[in-house]
Amino acid sequence: MKKIKKIILFMLIFVVILWICSTGIQLVVRNVNGSVSGRSRVFASVSAEKKNTIDVLVAGDSESYTSVSPMDLWDQTGIAAYDCGQPGQRIQETYYILKTAFKTQSPRLVVFETNTMFRDPGMLKNLQLSLTEPLGFYFPVFKYHNAWKALFDGPGGLKTCYKGFEIRDKTVSYEGDENYMKETRDKTEIPEVTRIYMDKIRNLCRKNGADLLLFSAPSPVNYNYKKYNALKEYAEEADLPYVDLNLRYRDIGIDWRKDSYDRGDHLNIEGARKVTEFMAKYLTDNYQLPDRREDSRWKEWNELAESYFKELEQCVIL
Amino acid sequence: MAYQSLVYGFVFLPLCLIVYQIAPQKWRRRVLLVFSYLFFWLLSGKLIVYLLGTTVFVHCIGIWLEWLRSEQKTELASAERCEKKRIKGIYQKKSRRVLAFGVLLLLGTLAYLKYYNFFVGNLTGIFGSALPFTLEEKKILMPVGISFYTLQAVGYLADVYWGKIRAEEKLENTALFLAFFPQIMEGPICRYSDTAGTLYSGKPLEIDNLTDGYIRIFWGLFKKKVIADRLAIGVDAIFGNYTSYSGAMTVFAAVAYTVQLYMEFSGCMDIIIGSGQLFGVKLPENFRQPFAAQSAAEFWRRWHITLGTWFKTYIFYPVSMSGPVKKWNQYGRKHFGKYITMLGTSAMALFPVWLCNGLWHGARWSYIFYGMYYFTLILFGIAVEPLRDRVLELLHIGEKSAGLKFVRIAKTWLIIFTGELFFRADGLRAGIYMFRSIFRNFDLNSLFDGRLLELGMSRADLTAIVVGCVVVAVVGAVKERGVHVREALGRRPAFIRWSIYYALLLAVIVIAAYGDGYQAVDMIYAGF
Repeated sequence: MKKIKKIILFMLIFVVILWICSTGIQLVVRNVNGSVSGRSRVFASVSAEKKNTIDVLVAGDSESYTSVSPMDLWDQTGIAAYDCGQPGQRIQETYYILKTAFKTQSPRLVVFETNTMFRDPGMLKNLQLSLTEPLGFYFPVFKYHNAWKALFDGPGGLKTCYKGFEIRDKTVSYEGDENYMKETRDKTEIPEVTRIYMDKIRNLCRKNGADLLLFSAPSPVNYNYKKYNALKEYAEEADLPYVDLNLRYRDIGIDWRKDSYDRGDHLNIEGARKVTEFMAKYLTDNYQLPDRREDSRWKEWNELAESYFKELEQCVIL
Repeated sequence: MAYQSLVYGFVFLPLCLIVYQIAPQKWRRRVLLVFSYLFFWLLSGKLIVYLLGTTVFVHCIGIWLEWLRSEQKTELASAERCEKKRIKGIYQKKSRRVLAFGVLLLLGTLAYLKYYNFFVGNLTGIFGSALPFTLEEKKILMPVGISFYTLQAVGYLADVYWGKIRAEEKLENTALFLAFFPQIMEGPICRYSDTAGTLYSGKPLEIDNLTDGYIRIFWGLFKKKVIADRLAIGVDAIFGNYTSYSGAMTVFAAVAYTVQLYMEFSGCMDIIIGSGQLFGVKLPENFRQPFAAQSAAEFWRRWHITLGTWFKTYIFYPVSMSGPVKKWNQYGRKHFGKYITMLGTSAMALFPVWLCNGLWHGARWSYIFYGMYYFTLILFGIAVEPLRDRVLELLHIGEKSAGLKFVRIAKTWLIIFTGELFFRADGLRAGIYMFRSIFRNFDLNSLFDGRLLELGMSRADLTAIVVGCVVVAVVGAVKERGVHVREALGRRPAFIRWSIYYALLLAVIVIAAYGDGYQAVDMIYAGF
């Protein structure tokens, strides 16, 4: 019994040490720009945003942050949006990035790019993610542990990020079938793990008073009608609004020769600006989102938008 | 699910521990077996049929050998004295045939899965269209751990044949002996007599075993994740593009790979032995400070000990006692004298050991070269031993002289690093090219002009590697002095002991190479 008590005490002290390390590392991460790179960067950068300044969170995989430009949205509507997507984001990561953002922000809307919903890395990887993500959330020392390296290597040289969005000015045309949304009754299966986490995401949004919007960015490589059918059915079941821009990419002016970044997988800056223009209209038409442009708390957003447009001017679409 | 993964350490193991503890004592070995098969299935899927087939086959052959022995006993008991020799001879012949059948089928399966494509590739490469038949390479899937459990199975059958152990009567016990999950992927290659006792006991979990086991697991994680996985980045960069690097960088790569391999393999062994310890199962040690070895032969008594022991027990001794070697001994003593006879005997017994050692690692000429490299060096060591002793005597240098020890260790390091260079190189040609580059284009400056930092390892990574190596070296030096580190720590005040444990846990959590910027590195020996 004495030994068990000792082990419990050892573990309790260890939890306290982990908590202290986590608090310390969060301070470093918030204050040293570039101390976190890679997949965790977005967790660190969304946590570093001024409290309660984000009204729209855009989540999902690379389709999300290559299709919605928060600075264009800001310029057109004054909506304060933030891209918190990650490359190849898994549904567990989506849940925990939202949970992380909700710790310091009170967004009114979460726009979820749906490509993540079809990603199933397999049982073991799902199990691993279901362990590592909560661990990283409750003890950020696990997520940001590599920040110590900045002591030796200095902060990493990161590309300027406009609220989670980077300007991608390269063009590699999509030359495949432009009628990739061929009508069918077939459906792609949504993995069980996605359904479980989508329920959690819906509850999380509900608890935090945020609406959830499902959105499919134009991408002939990633989307087809079978996925559309599955998403539409899911959205109806879950009573969620769903917008698929693959069905109306022509209406918003996407030209696959000019607006593709990498052969139809992602959009370049031109494509992203077109999608953002559509989103600006859709959001103002369907949601009551405040215009923050004149508010002094968002002054920094105006400054960032200025440098965004300056960089855009210098951009030569290759 | 690798041993270093979170799922293994914090889901699989705890779940297995809980079910094991809840189960009644007589069911506990079944719990271990079920979890072992689950582990194997998660790694190899339907290839589990190989393991199941091997288990049933080995069990039956073991029973058969035991039956022959008991039959022999019965017949001998009722036989006339003059008949006994004849009966023994008959049964020995029968037993030998049964053993040969078992061993050949086991090794044949391993050979087919592991070496078929190597054999076909070389045969068609040498004879080309001159071959009267066509041989094509096949896509062969190999179950994980086959090189380890096959040797264990062969060892078990040989021990039953020699009468060192009784054949296992329960199939579930044979199955657990071959499939015990902590050791199925990378060994250690256990002998039945070493592990059966604790493996089948089903003793309840003990707090001391749990704490010691998990501390050992974290120590293994430290070696693997803080040092080995970081070194892998630089090592892969140089070996993957060896023509672009100077001789000095090649030397760095050889040393770095040797350290990586040691940290990775011995680290995994710590995790494996620690995992066994959680259940009170004592698995044999596989490493004993190999870099303190003073000769190539000693190095192999300290590095991958269970493989060396296996070769010694099941190849070296049987060959040494075989008819041809005995005949050579008689013939040699008569015609060539003691020294040449001893050399010849050593060569005859060592050659198959080192050929098998090379081949065991995989179907590549560079592995065969690696085996032959050590065969030559060890034989050379035996050959010059009398001369060396004479020189030391003349120079009045004692065996325990610190200077001599230093020279011997340095020489052994040189041998080890060179061997590992060929072992890791992408084929024998690449190995020769890299080795020659040391003498053609050394360029010492390349180690200090920042080119090391272009390999993918940052300053922070190099610092972590150096600090990690120093920590491991200090612990190794303490162990070399005969101190049991865990017990010595146990005698320290709780404050010091706990501080060390917390430091270890935090080092693994904070400094380990995982997460952003790092790819998970597969376990090297699981690939053999």
